[in-house]
Amino acid sequence: MPTKDEIFEKVQEALVEALGVDNDEVAPEATLVGDLGAESIDFLDIVFRLEKAFDIKIPRGELFPEDVWTNAEYVQDGKVTEAGLEELRRRMPFANLDQFAKNPVVQEFGNLLTVADMCRFVETKVEVTD
Amino acid sequence: MQLDGRIALVTGGSRGIGRACVVELARRGAAVTLVYRSNREAAEALVTELTAEGLAVEAAEADVRDGQRAQQIVDRLVEKHDRLDILVNSAGIVSDGLLGAMTTEQWTSVIETNLTGTYHYCRAVAQQMMYQRSGSIVNLSSTAAEYASRGQVNYAASKGGINGLTRGMAKEFAPRKVRINAVAPGMIETDMSEAIRNLAGEQILKAIPMKRIGKPEEVAAVVAFLAGDEASYVTGQILLVDGGLSLGVY
Repeated sequence: MPTKDEIFEKVQEALVEALGVDNDEVAPEATLVGDLGAESIDFLDIVFRLEKAFDIKIPRGELFPEDVWTNAEYVQDGKVTEAGLEELRRRMPFANLDQFAKNPVVQEFGNLLTVADMCRFVETKVEVTD
Repeated sequence: MQLDGRIALVTGGSRGIGRACVVELARRGAAVTLVYRSNREAAEALVTELTAEGLAVEAAEADVRDGQRAQQIVDRLVEKHDRLDILVNSAGIVSDGLLGAMTTEQWTSVIETNLTGTYHYCRAVAQQMMYQRSGSIVNLSSTAAEYASRGQVNYAASKGGINGLTRGMAKEFAPRKVRINAVAPGMIETDMSEAIRNLAGEQILKAIPMKRIGKPEEVAAVVAFLAGDEASYVTGQILLVDGGLSLGVY
């Protein structure tokens, strides 16, 4: 069972390898898209590296539910609807969506997901020790 | 040798162009797994023939329309070798008929085998190759994708789809150091083209500037080139191997 520090180290390593960034850039508060330059295809790579690093299975779309953006029920005029926000909160309990909810422009969403969110996501998949 | 130590997977590898690709890649040093659907005898004979030469070849039975089986084969290979370097999508069928007489089953079987089958294997290897930051995929297209012939709308559509898949995937994966190209053969001496060659007879040679039918080995050599490091700066290309067929008659 990994500790939270060990989870952070492995997440950091996965992001460094997937995104070609330096270790010190991968701070807990760094956003994946805005700060680390992740593109949508990188999430596939990141998910695969996390699966290998933690020996877990991550269903596609679980970390970054892209299908929400293509669902007319959840997005109108480039903004996530109330129903969409509810769906995101349900599917992404590891992420803090409060800031995004104030101005839920779809294009801004990628800037929200942080390294700390990633760690919390992994913590939902593995048993963590103190 | 050029492909020493590379791990390769070839669909449709028991006959025709796929078989020639298996032979070419293995003789260039790759360890090859060939996928066959129904021709177990031919697949096993090829494995026996090449292993007798000291080459590393094995066979796996699968219908390329089955995406889960594709992933299973790829996962097993990666588990065994810890990597996968080359994928050649060569499995393909024809089921010709004029559009007005074509059944939905004819349309679907060709699209699902040729195009969806290619998609399944591309998808199955994509993450591993992206993870490795290396890999080369070669899809078998056809001149039929761009140069129409009567009675083959399903085949032409499937190969046109492969061209689109190849270019789109190449763009997605180029930054991750995975190359995806296609080879588009013209008239090649295979079982699959036998009916059309018989039908057209000598007339067909008039349309080919080189005045001869191509051999599977001539396609396989180009596939092996694209699969290897000599083509390290080539991606998203559809390379025609057609004796000049696409140049037109005049």
